[in-house]
Amino acid sequence: MGVLDGLSVVELSIAIAAPSCCRALAFHGADVVKIESRTNPDVARLFGSAWAVGVDAALYMDSSPYLPEMSANKRSVGLELKQREARDVALTLLARADVFVTNYSTPAVCGLGLSYDDVAAVNPAIIYVALPGFGSDPSQPYYEFLAWGPNLAPLVGLDELTGYPDQVPAGIATIAPPDYFAGLHAIAAVLTALEHRDQTGQGSYVDIAQFETTVSSLGPLLIDHALTGNVPGRTGSRLSWLAPQGCYRCAGAEQWVAITVADDIGWCAFAGLLGGHAVDERFATLAGRVEHHDEIDALIGEWTSAQSATEVAEQLQGLGVAACEVHDNLGVLHDPQVRDRHWFQLVESKRFPDGDLFSGHPIRLGDQPGRWWRAGPSMGEDTMAVLAGAGLSGAAVEELLRSGASFTDAVPEEKLRRPYIDDPEVLAAVRFPQDAGAA
Amino acid sequence: MTAGPWSGVRVVETSGLTSAYATRMWAALGADVIVAEPTEGHVLRHLPPFAPGGHGTDASLWWAFFGQGKRSVVAPPGSDELARLLATADVVITDVDLDGDADVDGVGGVADGDGVPVPAHDGQVVVAISPFGLTGPRRHWKGSELVAWASAGIGYTLGFPDRPPVCLATPVQFAAHVTSLFAVNAAMLARRGARRTGRGQVVDISMQECCLALAPETGVALYLDDRVHRSRPGNRRAVTRPWGLYPCADGFVSFLIIQPAHWRAMAAWIAEETGMEAVLDEVFLDMHVRWEVSDFIDDCTEQLTGPRTKLDLFIEGQRRGIPTTPVNTVADLRKDPHLRSAGFWRDDEHPVLGTFSSPGAPFRVNHDWWHWASAPSLGQHTDTVLAGV
Repeated sequence: MGVLDGLSVVELSIAIAAPSCCRALAFHGADVVKIESRTNPDVARLFGSAWAVGVDAALYMDSSPYLPEMSANKRSVGLELKQREARDVALTLLARADVFVTNYSTPAVCGLGLSYDDVAAVNPAIIYVALPGFGSDPSQPYYEFLAWGPNLAPLVGLDELTGYPDQVPAGIATIAPPDYFAGLHAIAAVLTALEHRDQTGQGSYVDIAQFETTVSSLGPLLIDHALTGNVPGRTGSRLSWLAPQGCYRCAGAEQWVAITVADDIGWCAFAGLLGGHAVDERFATLAGRVEHHDEIDALIGEWTSAQSATEVAEQLQGLGVAACEVHDNLGVLHDPQVRDRHWFQLVESKRFPDGDLFSGHPIRLGDQPGRWWRAGPSMGEDTMAVLAGAGLSGAAVEELLRSGASFTDAVPEEKLRRPYIDDPEVLAAVRFPQDAGAA
Repeated sequence: MTAGPWSGVRVVETSGLTSAYATRMWAALGADVIVAEPTEGHVLRHLPPFAPGGHGTDASLWWAFFGQGKRSVVAPPGSDELARLLATADVVITDVDLDGDADVDGVGGVADGDGVPVPAHDGQVVVAISPFGLTGPRRHWKGSELVAWASAGIGYTLGFPDRPPVCLATPVQFAAHVTSLFAVNAAMLARRGARRTGRGQVVDISMQECCLALAPETGVALYLDDRVHRSRPGNRRAVTRPWGLYPCADGFVSFLIIQPAHWRAMAAWIAEETGMEAVLDEVFLDMHVRWEVSDFIDDCTEQLTGPRTKLDLFIEGQRRGIPTTPVNTVADLRKDPHLRSAGFWRDDEHPVLGTFSSPGAPFRVNHDWWHWASAPSLGQHTDTVLAGV
């Protein structure tokens, strides 16, 4: 049993912010119906698998490795919302739903006739959660601006603060933290709105501006500026309240270890291991280690460079000092925790009957742990079931399909297979469906 | 003023930075978040930066922000006060240090032989936050912000190739805040679960896994599919161009051009401003082609951005329908017109530090959910709270 069994969620989304929220709800039992369009597909489907280039275009849309990462456990209904009939079906679904989550821009969602007022008119108790980049208030300066996660991290100040002080900002080129951060707030908003509804019977309209939400994470730095005018700069990996901390080169090509010495006791133990010049009165205090950080880094680097990252991390952890390999993807796959805790799943889907591999979820409830029952859905895979569940007659469904207002999954008899799922190294790291019950 | 939706729920927080962001939010949404502090004060009270003039255990601006809306009770690890306090908690949020020698009383009161916390009563939810989780061969390992990013495969992708991998926005401690949101969301979920079963449960939150959840764009599923080894690309993503940071007159500006329509607008702008008409060739509408000629596309883009300010580029680029943003500093954010106009800031009338401008609610709702108060002084609520337990 999932905590959210019985909760009905409709999702209209692109990319990460809204999907990451609804994936969490689906993991814990909610029935999440993702509305999908062939004419305006979710970008998560457009970054398909390298090996699948050249397969039928419709199949390619089901091949993206992002699909289960963003939409495992969801059901997919094909609705071309720009057609009036499809929009009416969406309202029928929303009239019966508990929650609606969208990260379409506000003008886009209003243009489709699915504004809060539109939805509340058919379902006053709806929990309507919008995650536009710059909020839903048309009177605000950036209301119409385009927001994409990787572009928001620079805007909110995270890129400026990432990198070394003597270099230009390294920024965050590889992930989009604001998307996930907003999605995490959306989960909290849904759960809070459920409390509110339980107490009052009222629905809620939640407006999560990804810009504002992520700027909130800089609270202490913003207050510091308000009080002193101080503008924080890049510090590499260093902090003023502990030292040393950094990534150090190890034996092998591009092998690194991350080390954090939290206090004097930790340093004392580490220095004893390093020996030689590391045992120095100047390094005994935090102030001394901060002042001589470069010198300490050189001593540490000399020591780490002759060993593997794992050897270094294990020795330091043995002393009670925080350290870990700086994993690349293979490192993650081989990580003892990742393996032992079965972070990666191999769960089947209709398109991938031999299983699809994807990430787990960090919220592990002891007694009601949540579960994965399917990988990412094919586009439109659940159209028939969703429409029937909404009370549409067979004739009405037929008409929707004929007019193109709705669609089902393309060539459902065609199956895909990830080329790596027989790789023993991969298989050793994943959890199989038959293991799930034992979790 | 009505009480927030979580009023009546008592949360006792014995953890440090890894829960502080989201428990602040939860407090503002009505939960009675009580920080159980050691005699010398919570760890955040001792982190710089400090308010000018120094005000003892009130001076840390980490505390001034993350303590907002919470109550403070001095209840040191192992004390009778802490045990009494924990016995009354609906939710306990705690850092877990599974070191065999750890004083397990300090991690949430009651713990089993391995240091894993146990609820003090049947209905209690205990959220146990640890660097690597409560199970597995590395469950005893120590962690940190940097270690979390490293362990999740994200640290490896941050930085320039000529320097070591670097922590994500080190001064922000973002991994801790992500972890805090997973922790509080888990607590909220477990409360709903308790509604049905009458029983609480222990929630296992691993900071490594919280960071792994942010990794898909550079992560294992992608890697297994294309076998591209993803290393540190510097400040532009190795997918297409323009994607990433470009120097301008007063700093940097960010572009993210994937869609053909966005490139069309971008190319027109470049051609208009620089006279480089070659960019208008239809072949560049394909993001893969632009990636193949990265140097050319980057050069054109830099010729556009070089002489202009980041604000000009932001406003004009967005006017043209191009996804672009300035690379903001904290000072830029404080004067940002949208944040000011949208009511993002609230004045915190702090009894010791005076009034200062602080971020307010992280999102909006059409109800009176949000209620704020200044961070409490050390032990401000000890007598009141302990008298009732």
